[in-house]
Amino acid sequence: MDWLQNISITCFAASYAVVFILEISRVFFDVSFRKYVRVGFAAAGLFAHTVFLILQGKLVLGSTGIWLGSWFGWCLAAAWILAFAYIWISIRQPKSVIGLFLIPLLLGLIGVGVGFGHENQFNPMRAKSVWNMVHGSALLLGTAIVALGFVFGIVYVVQSRRLKHKTPQSKNFRLPSLEWLQKSSEYSLIISTVLLAIGLVSGIAINWINQSEGAVSSGGVIAWSNPVIWSSGILFSWLLLVSVFNFCYQPARQGRKVAYLVIASFLFLVLELAIVWWAGHATTYLKPSVAKRPAIHSVFVEWPAIHSVFVEWPSESRGIKI
Amino acid sequence: MNLQVIGCSHHLSSVAIREQLAFTEQQIKPFLNSYYSKFPDSEAVLLSTCNRTEFYTVADKPSSVPGKSELIEFIAEERGLVATDINSEIFIHQDRQAIEHLFSVASSLDSMVVGEAQILAQVKQAYQLAVETDQTPALIHRVFQSAIRVARRVSNETEIHANRVSVPSVAIGVLAKQIFERLDNKKILILGAGEMAEETLRYVIHEGGKDFTIVNRSLENAKELAAKFNGRVGDWNVLEQELASADLVISATGATEAVVNSDQFDRVEEMRKQKPIFILDLAVPRDFEQSISDRSNVYLYTLDDLQKECERNRQSRQSHYPKAQKIIIHEADQFFDEIQRRSSGSTIAQLKRQADDAKQLELDRLMNRLEGVSEKQKSEIEQSFNRLVNKILHPPLKSLQTESPQVSGGLLEALKKLFQLGD
Repeated sequence: MDWLQNISITCFAASYAVVFILEISRVFFDVSFRKYVRVGFAAAGLFAHTVFLILQGKLVLGSTGIWLGSWFGWCLAAAWILAFAYIWISIRQPKSVIGLFLIPLLLGLIGVGVGFGHENQFNPMRAKSVWNMVHGSALLLGTAIVALGFVFGIVYVVQSRRLKHKTPQSKNFRLPSLEWLQKSSEYSLIISTVLLAIGLVSGIAINWINQSEGAVSSGGVIAWSNPVIWSSGILFSWLLLVSVFNFCYQPARQGRKVAYLVIASFLFLVLELAIVWWAGHATTYLKPSVAKRPAIHSVFVEWPAIHSVFVEWPSESRGIKI
Repeated sequence: MNLQVIGCSHHLSSVAIREQLAFTEQQIKPFLNSYYSKFPDSEAVLLSTCNRTEFYTVADKPSSVPGKSELIEFIAEERGLVATDINSEIFIHQDRQAIEHLFSVASSLDSMVVGEAQILAQVKQAYQLAVETDQTPALIHRVFQSAIRVARRVSNETEIHANRVSVPSVAIGVLAKQIFERLDNKKILILGAGEMAEETLRYVIHEGGKDFTIVNRSLENAKELAAKFNGRVGDWNVLEQELASADLVISATGATEAVVNSDQFDRVEEMRKQKPIFILDLAVPRDFEQSISDRSNVYLYTLDDLQKECERNRQSRQSHYPKAQKIIIHEADQFFDEIQRRSSGSTIAQLKRQADDAKQLELDRLMNRLEGVSEKQKSEIEQSFNRLVNKILHPPLKSLQTESPQVSGGLLEALKKLFQLGD
């Protein structure tokens, strides 16, 4: 099974790129066996993606849950969820070209992870806390589902616009029905709100535990004024408001309004992630003297040794941001 | 095999003639029985649809198949017409032309709407009725099973059936599916109770629609249509409420002006709480004011919009015509090759049997004359006779098998005449 170790990002990114090219080719010409090739490549990509995440991407099943290691792993895991969703949609809606909208988002996530994710290693101590695991997993799933909702929303707008303008449906550019897109958008909105609420509540719990244990933030005080905290609060409030609005006010869950709401939610989320990233939330801040220690630094890069770090990491060298 | 088809279709004959020559399902069997009583040595199939009446006759011997004038006389007599009145509107195709015609008809290339799906079912039904009338129609089996197979091949290998071409089928089968995932849980409102409303309703039911309400100015007509399809009758006076609860509206009234204007629809929209609605306005003049379609959650399609889509689909089907025709020509070639092979096979067997009989006769006569011949010598003589017969027959039989069907057909006839073989 040594060959599994050789699986790189190129393997699955290339598979998804092929899927994207095949999706584009659907618009221009028809080939009966292409759907099998397309789903085959997506499945092969997903397999390689899974193996990579497990063996090299810092994703492991620890005693407290799934640990992603860094923003790099986090982006790849979010991309994995989108790839899985792509295969599911390809089976449920085989004639629609929804992949044209979904695959670029997936490839974009991989690109962001590869381009910037390595710099931000998550604090390994977080792997020991169930609350941290719940926090990370819920936010990861919530983000992926909001991204999916964004795709459904965009496709809804395209399909609705086409139908309004009575543009004939091309045989090679079919989209799901408005009803399906509306329901999918609605579900993604509700599920992502619940997940992001869990993420936020678990984040508050982490703060509360850290405060009670005497842990300090970088400023020595629990950072309620931290941009991550308030921006998360705004995002959650937005999603909650949208969901309540959607639930209580019937016109809000009709037609294009749902699509616009999920698109807006996604844009909010992108802004929120940018703040989280910029603030270095949940990542390890190493003092220059500590950062110089090559053995410790290498541990973050080479995941299999991370458990030993938990044992060996000197408590005085922890510079943790919340 | 001697195959011919005589009949009328939308290509050549007027509707008046087609109506006079049309047969109902119940009339076909008595017609065939009457034919068999006059021409017992042939087999026959009668295909009668709204666009064509075609009578296929087939027999092994050319003399067993009646000629065109005989058939016209027979058909005219059966329909109570004068033969000379219909003579000019009747076509006849024989053998190769007849088989190509049948393949085209079954594959829907000869239909008024190319690619329509019903014709194959009608061909199958005509074949079934013929089989029920004549218990041993060996030639009909061969011809019609080939036609059904060719039609399936055309359907599988081309996209001639791919796009819908009638207004109701495009409206429900194509457009409604782009808006709704399913129709069984949708409220469907039908305005009008005429032919167009009824035809569209059939498609709605075919696509799974269950909950439909018929609203019409004449309550009687609405009740009649509702009873036919197990629907609900709505009240014309509360049309706005009916519109407020509908997901899909099919409007095909005979009203001379718009039934729903913009102001009325404002009230409907208020009640709907911006729920999307799909309106198919199939009426001329239109039932819904054009400005209603400006609302963001209203998808309003008129007859013109749908006819444009139908025309595009018709053109798309036409583009597949040459490929389908190529398949038909190829299949007709293969059909006649097969007939030729079967026919030459029986002639060859006959020739061999004849030569064998002559050989055996001469061998017996020789053995009776010879005395003191051992068993071994007898066997040698017999083998020598066999070799002689085989050597004589080998060159003509080889030519028959290796030549093209056209040439071998002539050879076959020559062989039959030279060696005085029967049909």
